[in-house]
Amino acid sequence: MPAPPIDARSQNAHVLGVEPCGEDGVLLRIKPLEPAGPLRAGRFFMLRSPDDTAPAIPRPFSVYRQHDDGSIEFLIKVMGPGTRALARSSPGTELVCVGPLGNGFPEFGADVPQVMVAGGIGSAPFYMAIQQALAGSHGAKVAPEDLTLIYGGRKAGFLYDLEAFMDLGVRVLAATDDGSVGFHGNVLDCLRKQWEVENLPETVRLLTCGPEPMMEAVAHEAAVKNLECWVSLESYMGCGVGICNGCSLVTRPDGPLGEWPVAKACVDGPVFCTSAIEL
Amino acid sequence: MASMEVDLAGISLRNPILSASGTFGHGVEMQHMVALDELGGLVSKTVTCQPRPGNPAPRIAETKAGFLNSIGLENRGIESYIESVLPEVESAGTVIITNIGGESVADYVAAAEALAGFDVISALEVNLSCPNVGGGRLPFSTDPKRAEEVMRAVSEVTDKPLWAKLSPNVTRIEEIACGAEAGGASAITAVNTLLGLGVDWRTGKPALATVVGGYSGIGMGPVALRCAWQCAQAVDIPVVGCGGIADAEDVLAFLAVGCHAVQVGTASFSDPGMLGRLAAEVEQLLDEAGVKDVQDVVGCMEASK
Repeated sequence: MPAPPIDARSQNAHVLGVEPCGEDGVLLRIKPLEPAGPLRAGRFFMLRSPDDTAPAIPRPFSVYRQHDDGSIEFLIKVMGPGTRALARSSPGTELVCVGPLGNGFPEFGADVPQVMVAGGIGSAPFYMAIQQALAGSHGAKVAPEDLTLIYGGRKAGFLYDLEAFMDLGVRVLAATDDGSVGFHGNVLDCLRKQWEVENLPETVRLLTCGPEPMMEAVAHEAAVKNLECWVSLESYMGCGVGICNGCSLVTRPDGPLGEWPVAKACVDGPVFCTSAIEL
Repeated sequence: MASMEVDLAGISLRNPILSASGTFGHGVEMQHMVALDELGGLVSKTVTCQPRPGNPAPRIAETKAGFLNSIGLENRGIESYIESVLPEVESAGTVIITNIGGESVADYVAAAEALAGFDVISALEVNLSCPNVGGGRLPFSTDPKRAEEVMRAVSEVTDKPLWAKLSPNVTRIEEIACGAEAGGASAITAVNTLLGLGVDWRTGKPALATVVGGYSGIGMGPVALRCAWQCAQAVDIPVVGCGGIADAEDVLAFLAVGCHAVQVGTASFSDPGMLGRLAAEVEQLLDEAGVKDVQDVVGCMEASK
């Protein structure tokens, strides 16, 4: 029976701070009343502001960073009433916070280099994924030269907290549709270019998070080149804990989840190998 | 401290608060987030004879005052329920009600027969009213005779108390309730979701892949309260209120119109931990009002006398 993770709690969290980030984003830092243990990259919380203008159903947000004091940061693109209300939160107030939820990225070996392909706010799970790969805290320790982040967006303002990613000491390649920063083009063209100029070995493990068409394109590229590919989905969820059956995904009959035609993004994911689900 | 225990057609509940079908999984998977022994009971998501993969995505959409869904009774079928779920729910520490669904009378009968021998199940809730199967035609919950027919056929194959879950999408719900009672229902659950629809006019896309789905949440509260009251007026069996209940005040309002217990659904999506706290909050309201027994609230609305 799919169930929420045993460390998940439905509780409140103190808002520690909200900082603007990029053109339309914020960095929200909260401290849950009952702090979570060390979190694997790719896990998420459902957050909701008690503000009356916010939707009643919390929305899922990947953990961006976790700090030693038990506080957690989220990188949030302000898009609608729910994220607007979160962005307006004042330090000292409380939010509804359900989590930690989801599976997170699995433990990878150091057998092949990893290329993370992020589109806009889809970069959120990759900060900790890079930190944890460098430290070997979940899976093998990976050398900085074997970690590449291709970080794309329509323009520079949508590459949220780009400098923080660059400070991690791995290879970060920015790509913008308008050429305002980095490679002039989309992430897929940037990735292909790396192969073309032999900046990347032919065999890599691809991890991707961002707009669905982008993830589909990355997964397609992986399939064509027979590469392992993992997606961190940002599905619309009704509960985050597996009880509403709303965030259904179609499973691949020949894949690891093929015993049932649908999977739940919240409790079976949000990180899936592309061999498991249809994008 | 007010007494919170209620008797529901021969089943003793430690308090009148249950989970609503389809909004809390099978319940037991929530044991790490919710103290299940703080609930009056758990109503399972609908189980059908055959596995059902459910409807295509998108299946859910939030609206301004509620929630649209078109899950389509996704479940792994009765055999899987018996093998994988029932052994787990035994440890839940609360009353277990299994909700059964189907597209024909024979489907309901077969599901009830398959579950008849499992003592862990205290009652069956017969889902006459899912709007997300068979194109929302609701054949068993819009005609009193059809409701009676299903309940009678099911009652012939099981000794378990049967609750009939009705639809609000009718003109005279009390007639359906009477039909279910005549067919052998021990209780009425009022109500399932309202038929609803959402659309993004910019893209022209409906909010749900099936276009029409079930609308739930606080926006339907007054509709559900009216339905529950009409049922309670019309039948001699207990009524379990359901629809838009989001806090302790709502719980007591449903009891006031004559319900003996309530089910909480969509509110669990806003706060999955809420069900475990609700009974204590109801008790506090009763204590503040000087009410000694929650059953004293049942049917206290003047017009319901």
